[in-house]
Formats: sequence, C-alpha cells, structure tokens
Amino acid sequence: MEEEVGPKFESELISTSGVYKTPFSLIILIQLFIGGLILFIVNLWFINSLYYLLTGIEFYSFGLKAEWYYWLLLPLNIYANIFLFVFTIILFSGGIFRVLNKLSPPQEGIFERGSKEWKYMHRRFWTAFFPIWLARALPLPWLDIIAYRSFGTRVGRSVVLYEGYVDPLFVEIGDFTMTSLNICIFSHLIYQDKVFIKKVKIGKACVVGPHTIITPGTIMEDFAVLGVNSYTAINQRLKGNLIHVGTPVSITLPIQSIEESQQKAVKTKESTISENTIQKKIDSHLQEE
Amino acid sequence: MFQPASLKGVSPTPIDERIRKKFLILYIVIIILSLIPTSLFEFWYITLFWSETYFWIFFIVLPFNVFFSIYLIQLSAIMISVLFLKIINLIHVPREGKFKRSIEDRDYYFWTVRNIVKKWPLYVTASNPFPWLKNRFTLRFFGVKIGKKNICDNSWISSEFVSIGKNVIIGMNSTILSFAIEQDNFILKKIMVGDNVLIGAKCVLLPGTIIKQNAKLSAHSYTNHNHVLEENSIYSGHPAKLKENH
Repeated sequence: MEEEVGPKFESELISTSGVYKTPFSLIILIQLFIGGLILFIVNLWFINSLYYLLTGIEFYSFGLKAEWYYWLLLPLNIYANIFLFVFTIILFSGGIFRVLNKLSPPQEGIFERGSKEWKYMHRRFWTAFFPIWLARALPLPWLDIIAYRSFGTRVGRSVVLYEGYVDPLFVEIGDFTMTSLNICIFSHLIYQDKVFIKKVKIGKACVVGPHTIITPGTIMEDFAVLGVNSYTAINQRLKGNLIHVGTPVSITLPIQSIEESQQKAVKTKESTISENTIQKKIDSHLQEE
Repeated sequence: MFQPASLKGVSPTPIDERIRKKFLILYIVIIILSLIPTSLFEFWYITLFWSETYFWIFFIVLPFNVFFSIYLIQLSAIMISVLFLKIINLIHVPREGKFKRSIEDRDYYFWTVRNIVKKWPLYVTASNPFPWLKNRFTLRFFGVKIGKKNICDNSWISSEFVSIGKNVIIGMNSTILSFAIEQDNFILKKIMVGDNVLIGAKCVLLPGTIIKQNAKLSAHSYTNHNHVLEENSIYSGHPAKLKENH
C-alpha cells in the first residue's frame, strides 16, 4: 500500500535538517545537569576520602577512610566516571524522548510549519542530539547504536554507523548493514513551509556508500548496495542483490561474485596480451619489408 | 567537490606546510595566552572558597566552576585570535582576486597566516556540545556576516568573505567555500547569500556564487565559480541549473 504524495514532493529534492525556535540550549543544559548530579552523588565516597587524605578530617562520618590505595584507584575512577556520565545522559534523554512520544504520538504525513507535529519533531531532534554527540566523542564504536536504541529506533545486530546523520524516529536498520562516512538518512524533508515525514526501511546486510542521501519513504531490500555520491528519490524501492547508482537513483548494476570478476580480469589480460603479440607481428612484417 | 567526512571537525582552513613552520611559535603563544584568564580564575576560586569550616561550599560550586572555565577558555581564545588578526590585517589588508600559490605571493602568504591564527578558537568551539557556538558565534568575530534566525549549525562555512542574510536554512553537511585551489592558482572571492534562501543537504558553493532572495538550491548539488542564482527560483544539478521560476 503506497500513500499518495503531493506532486511537489515527487519533483523536488530539497532536504534539510533545519531546526530553530526550540529552547535547545536549555534541553542540553538539563541533560548536562542531570549527568553531573549523578556523577557527584556516586563520587561522594571518593571526594570524602580525598578530603580525609588532605586534612585528616572526614567529609561525612559514615564513609570509608581511604589510604595509599586511593591514588591507585584514581585513574580507574576517572575512566569509570566518563562512562557513567555518558550512560546516564543516554538513559535520561531516552526517557525524555519517550515522554515526548506520549505527549504527541509521532505520525507520518505532510505537516505545516508551526503545527504541533513540527514543534515536537524539533524537540525530539534536540533531545537526541546531545547523547549521540557524546557517544561519538568516546572511542567505543557501539555506543551510538545503544543511544539510538534508547530512543526506540530499530537497529539490528552488528551494524556499522559512523559519523553520519541518522534520524532518531521512523528509521529501521536491519542486521549486518554497513554505512560509510558522511551519509544522511532522513525520515523527514523540509520543503518551503511544509515538512514531510515518512518511514525509511533498510534491510539486512545492505551497504550505504559514502556521500549519499537516503530520503523519506525509501525501502532498501536485503543485500542492496547504494553507490557513492548518489541519492534516492522519495518513495523509491531499491531491489536486493543489486548496486544502485545515480542522482536520483536510475542505474542498477549486478553484483558480481569473486570468481566472475577474476575470470573477467583474466580475460582482459589475455586480450591485451594477444593485442601485443599481433602488434609485434605487424612490426616484424614492417621490418622485413 | 569538497565535503566534510565528520561534522565535528574545524571549518575548512587548509594551511601550507612551508609557512606553518615559521608561525608555530605564534600558534603556541595564542594557546598559552588564551589559557591565562582561566588559570587566574581558578586561583581566585581556590583562595575565595577554600576554608576549613565552609569546605562543602567549595565542592558544591565545583561543577559550575568547571562549566564556566571551559567557556572562559573558548571566549578568551576568540578574543586573543581577533586581536592578532587585527594586527596582521594592519600589515596586509585582505583582498579578493586570483593569486599564485607560492610563498613569494603576499596575499597567499597572509591568507595562510590568518588561518593559523583562527585555527585554535575554531577547534575549541567546534568540540563542544552547543552547536551554535562554532558557526553563529565565532565566525561573527572573524568578520563573517550572518543574519538573524539562521540555521547553519551542521555545515562548514569558511571564515572569510562570506555574507549570509536573514532566515536562511543551510542543510546538513553542506559546505560554503570562499577560496579555491586550482593547480598553481589560488582564488579568493566573496560569496553572497540573500534573505530567505533555502540550501539543501550536501551542497557545495564555490567562490563567487551569488544567491539572491528566496532562491532554493536542491540537495546534493553544487555551483560553479561566479555562479548567479536568480530570485524566486529553484536550482538543482551538477553544476546547478534552473528548474523552476515563480
């Protein structure tokens, strides 16, 4: 079942992630504050022991008194604190995201600027922004996938997500898919005074090449490949086991097996060798003459 | 084509290796000078708040202190680099044109020096959670005109010869370049973006493009050198061609 879309959206491809008139600095500050508060509460024991070491008096009376091993535990404590901070912010903002979803349940369709869906789309975007930014600042590559899962997006097993932009809502990514650098997966599209929201589905073991845009409504079937520097049209269906290239996608190429490509390579080598031999013969003939 | 692999990085400020060696000391001096205000602030904080009877105030205000000192570093980095920029601009006034890409050419030489000076504040402001700090705050200090109610947080904008109007939306990963390198030549030319313009995701604007009011540039397209996009019209393609005119 395909929904009917306005003619403007079919012909034009102006997609942005423009967001404003939302108190996003306030949202980030609240997230930072909650993370810092939990950090402070968990670290009270460490602060107490540091205070005891420095002055000989306890910060509060019921804590453990640290000795020389305090300094051994300090680097471990710093590392653990970084992860604690990130995980609390991811979980907390995931909670905010769920609350926003309950306040106005997300819908697909075309909405006008200033409507309720438009506002809530922006609020959801900014709650998702900071935890994903933080997860990508850490050296663990699977942290941003956990962040996406906390917002309720379906991301499969062993998925590769580099620093591309992926919308937190209305996106489904199957198992074993790979996305390369500088990609945009939009489930929303802004055109003039309207925003168009539709679900994006990416199947199992797909490959999304670098510098590509996936626009709302596209469905990538299993084992499909999107080539470099190309984008999909709205509501396009990319068939599986094929390479798709074009702006927007118009050319499809077969995926060769390794044996086939090796055979082709051998053939081309043979042909070049045979050409060389023919030319040598011609040269020898000329010399004889 | 020139697109960022990661949005977390600095705006495009390529620096010539031959000139970098000479100005390494200047770069280090800027970093050290920008750290002095925060160290003074920390000294003041410890002397004021640390006492044996009211020690708990010290620990409660500590998170706010960390937060404030991070932003103090960023602000002081911007101020000191602007000061150095004004001194350099007194020696050589920046101008548009077509130059040679060699050390003897004074325009190219001073352009790289300016980039060295801008590198530290741009790096510091690019690596913090508030997205508006890099493009909408720091670039204004370097002389880029950016109007009100703009959205240009997730894009790369070069730090000179750019002016952007009001109510402009610039999409994800798009880059605005006021410089270009063509073999031995080096081109600097101003980019003008009018009011109410919409630029899609992953666009590339080359030097000299003028986008007039209410024009729209479709996603994944780029403009040529000295390209003029007319009012109230829609463009798309490689390079951008007229599609619709209202």
